[in-house]
Amino acid sequence: MSSNPKNILQVQNLSKSFLGVKALDNIQFDIQKGEVHALMGENGAGKSTFMKILIGLLKPDCGEIIFDGEILKTNNVHENLKKGISMIHQEILFVPELTVAQNIFLGRETNHRNWLNDKAINHKTQELLDLIGLKINAHTKIKKLSIAQMQMIEIAKAISNNAKVIIMDEPTSALSDKEVSMLFKIIKDLKEKGVAIIYISHKMEEIFEITDRITVFRDGNYIDTKNTNELNQNALIALMVGREIGSLFPEKVTFKGEKKTILSVKNFSKKGKFENINFEVLAGEVLGIAGLMGAGRTEIARAIYGLDKYDSGEIILKGDKINIKSPKEAIEKGIGYVSEDRKALGFIPAMSINENISLSSLVNYSKVWFVNSTNEQEATSQLSNDLKIKSTSINQKVMNLSGGNQQKVVIGKVLLTSPSLIILDEPTRGIDIGAKFEIYKLINQLTDKGIAVIMISSELPEILGMSDRILVLSKGKQTALFTKQEATQEKILQYAVN
Amino acid sequence: MLNRLKQYGIFVVFIIICLILSLISNQFFTVSNWTIIITQASINALLAFGVTFVIITGGIDLSLGSMVAVTGVTAAMLAHPDIYPVALPVFAGLISGLLMGVFNGFIITKSKIAPFIVTLGTMTIGRGLALILSKGRPVSNLSDSFNFIGGGDVFGIPFPIIVLILIFAICSITLKKTLLGRYIYAVGGNEQAARASGINVNQVKMAVYSISGLLAGLAGILLTSRITTGQPNAGAGFELDAIAAAVIGGTSTSGGTGTMTGTLVGVLLIGVINNGLDLLNVTSYYQQVVMGIIIIGAVVLDSWNQKSNG
Amino acid sequence: MAIDFIIILTMKNLYSILFISIFFFFSCNKSNKAENGSDKKIKVGVTMLSMQNEFIVNISDEMSKKAEELDVELITVDAEHQPLKQIEQVESFIAQKVDVIIMNPCEVEASSPAVTKALTAKIPIINVNSATTIQPTAFVGSNDVESGRIAMNFIAEKLGGKGNIVMIHGFMGQAAQIQREQGAKEILKKYPNLKLISHQTGEWDRAKSMDLMQNWIQSYGTKINAVFAQNDEMGLGALKALQDAGLKDKVIVVSIDAIADALQAVKKGTLDATVFQNAKQQGAGAIETAVKIVKGQPYEKELMIPFQLVTKENIGKFLK
Repeated sequence: MSSNPKNILQVQNLSKSFLGVKALDNIQFDIQKGEVHALMGENGAGKSTFMKILIGLLKPDCGEIIFDGEILKTNNVHENLKKGISMIHQEILFVPELTVAQNIFLGRETNHRNWLNDKAINHKTQELLDLIGLKINAHTKIKKLSIAQMQMIEIAKAISNNAKVIIMDEPTSALSDKEVSMLFKIIKDLKEKGVAIIYISHKMEEIFEITDRITVFRDGNYIDTKNTNELNQNALIALMVGREIGSLFPEKVTFKGEKKTILSVKNFSKKGKFENINFEVLAGEVLGIAGLMGAGRTEIARAIYGLDKYDSGEIILKGDKINIKSPKEAIEKGIGYVSEDRKALGFIPAMSINENISLSSLVNYSKVWFVNSTNEQEATSQLSNDLKIKSTSINQKVMNLSGGNQQKVVIGKVLLTSPSLIILDEPTRGIDIGAKFEIYKLINQLTDKGIAVIMISSELPEILGMSDRILVLSKGKQTALFTKQEATQEKILQYAVN
Repeated sequence: MLNRLKQYGIFVVFIIICLILSLISNQFFTVSNWTIIITQASINALLAFGVTFVIITGGIDLSLGSMVAVTGVTAAMLAHPDIYPVALPVFAGLISGLLMGVFNGFIITKSKIAPFIVTLGTMTIGRGLALILSKGRPVSNLSDSFNFIGGGDVFGIPFPIIVLILIFAICSITLKKTLLGRYIYAVGGNEQAARASGINVNQVKMAVYSISGLLAGLAGILLTSRITTGQPNAGAGFELDAIAAAVIGGTSTSGGTGTMTGTLVGVLLIGVINNGLDLLNVTSYYQQVVMGIIIIGAVVLDSWNQKSNG
Repeated sequence: MAIDFIIILTMKNLYSILFISIFFFFSCNKSNKAENGSDKKIKVGVTMLSMQNEFIVNISDEMSKKAEELDVELITVDAEHQPLKQIEQVESFIAQKVDVIIMNPCEVEASSPAVTKALTAKIPIINVNSATTIQPTAFVGSNDVESGRIAMNFIAEKLGGKGNIVMIHGFMGQAAQIQREQGAKEILKKYPNLKLISHQTGEWDRAKSMDLMQNWIQSYGTKINAVFAQNDEMGLGALKALQDAGLKDKVIVVSIDAIADALQAVKKGTLDATVFQNAKQQGAGAIETAVKIVKGQPYEKELMIPFQLVTKENIGKFLK
């Protein structure tokens, strides 16, 4: 393949393996100045390895990277950054106690005489912030910002590096719709300035809205590169998973048993978080909770589960008024919670799949003080099989699993406590399409067994596709309760914004 | 499996150092010398086992040395001949250690102050208590039955070694096979997730600091009995040796990982180095430097080993 | 008053603040009394090396007894082995305008500025037990070199001038360690057939020197004829190791300080000898000197309290 002069970055025949396992095999990739190029693939397709090689964190085994007309030889993040390759990370890496300006210029805060020059960097930072339309002060400490604002600061940092290529890894995962549109405006500005953007996201709508071309990886192999307008959603998914997927959501099975009320919440309030919430969930039903970020959805879930206190209101579980003070009590009463923040609240990374799954119900697999590991492993490997967790064994550490499999482990842990109510908070966040579909199937299996499910989600198609009834929240208040038949994307949005 | 490999790393370092020492000194690899090494290491071992629990939960216990002094003095004061049966000073020593541990745990869980600060406080309080109890003087004239604990032997095996083996077995089983052990790893691995998984995090923390105190009490009794006197200034700096042993043995100070076998190897490594340097007649000034280099070297080698094992 | 507060604030040290506030409290109370009384009480500030050391505690106790007897008001503080803390304590004594300062120095060099400060403030300062490079108003104590000589001489005589010796040092670099080693080595020079086969530190600690002795027994076995430990704690540790190994009958053990445990051991015949450093005379002598200075009476600029060898023969004299 010959080098195209319009390409700012061109990758040829790149391979990389870890301990004899090929993570990337003969990868081709190119991007032009002013292009937004999506990189698609399921988790484990090799996207993150590829990114790490581009920014200089990993060294390829063979192959060539031509950047700005030169062969890129370095494997040094700092060196690549100077040359103009920047990355906006999925997890935000800032020093919380320093100001916006100090963070943006971290490691470059000196003038030519090696003196700190706060005035100059503050000035430059303010210019940058104005440029991307972010209304905050350069003196503000990072810890005072929202996640969305931090994400914008990451972009400002990349611009300040005079980046020629910016890699964005799931940049919208923590952003509200308004912030997303702001981000897209910035991306368009960058495009006009000739900056090339490699865009990674699981959100299909974004890919079709913002990108020019799409490259698909699968299992470490290069599959294809197409112009975005040549593809539709189904065709793209087919490229990614290597087969056709009929529908995004599995066929819904209705629960045949008696539809008793499992949970009802009355006049539920917590000052500044949510106010006067009333709903009930029946056996075998999925209650979707929709709303914008900050509408109080997660706060309600946390209060029901005993993670946070609430001020007033009643929780009635299977006819009994209960007062839950800790997750321990909630689990004992048959309530399970799968958090939106998988890393912080979901699992213990250094522990094995087996140990994570059994964590909440270990007492049931113990005699007096001692864990009966035979019984424990029998139960967890059964669940691990049922949930199709991809691993070398149930003794593999959870930190070495992909996001989708980690989520399955968390769900497995909740299932092993045999709950009668499960609260799923953003159950498919950061998970690839194949795994999403499996989690939807799993939700159906749960309701089929008569378990009540509360599903909180920011993805409206998911809410509409999976819920029997939909509760809409806005600014801590309950604004609407739809049945599946009544609900539409527009209606939900209207009440969520209200 | 990965855990085994990690231990294997420090174990190799340990074997290499033993081999080198036995090549240089022909007294090193004898039964009598090893009996001495293990007896001398037994006090540090008890403290290190206790602090391993604490470190796995992501905490730290700096009050170990002071607890040794308080419990030692307490036991000694009740161990004069022909006054009380030997069970009483032993019991009192253990209880005083346990109480200090409970105090640590209580303050840490109720106040949410960092364990480093809380135990730094108890370290000073403990030292003061030991001096108050003993009026600044060693407490001596202890009964023979009390002195047996640290000085006697059963079928030719020194009693401290028997204690060491017993406590190692208990701690190791607690960590590997019990609910508490699993919860300790969970709390250290991700405290918030542990709580959300229905674990009573405060209870677990109370437990580890109490165990640490109890074992410090046992160490205090052993030390007092071994030197046949309760010393108010005994145990100064013991906490650092214990923490070093745990860390050398692969316990991560950020919590979540560590094993008792690793800690035991760490303890023995420090014991072997101390013994070896004396045998080789390395002068006092150099001993400290050599010890430091070997500690850092052992951990660096171990971390290389871990990396190459993937 | 204002100056005192500034001193307190600059210290930023909880202990010092605590100590000083207590002294404030006491000194205020006492000065009121003194105003009511006819004669003004002599006020002496005392800073001790470490109240965790039995011998130092003994000196301090003797001072208190003597002070009571002579109706002197004592303010005693603990420098906890830290020269800086000791200097700060002397500064606060100066600020409190005590009549005399008695210092038991932490270090030869590092505690010297305290002497200079006191002398500049025209407050007499007496060093007790150990010395500083700067000459104080008076010194009361014993020459540690002498104790080393006495101990080693005893060993030389017992062994008939021939044999192998091991020496257990205190904390390396401390005045007592340096001087006791110096004294011992002076004697060793006189006896070419006495061989120092090994010497290591036991850090003044009983358990540490017990470990050390065990290791020595491993390496030298029955070759060792005598042990010189620079204090009794370490001597008793070595003794325990020798007893456990069944070697005590073959090895002579001598140490310094004559603490209660050591005297008991000499009486039992397990410890061969210790060297008595007279805490009583040092403590009492310091207070007496202080009183003489304040009253303008003649005093000895260097009051040397002699050491005495304690063996089974003369043990009765030392046991009370």
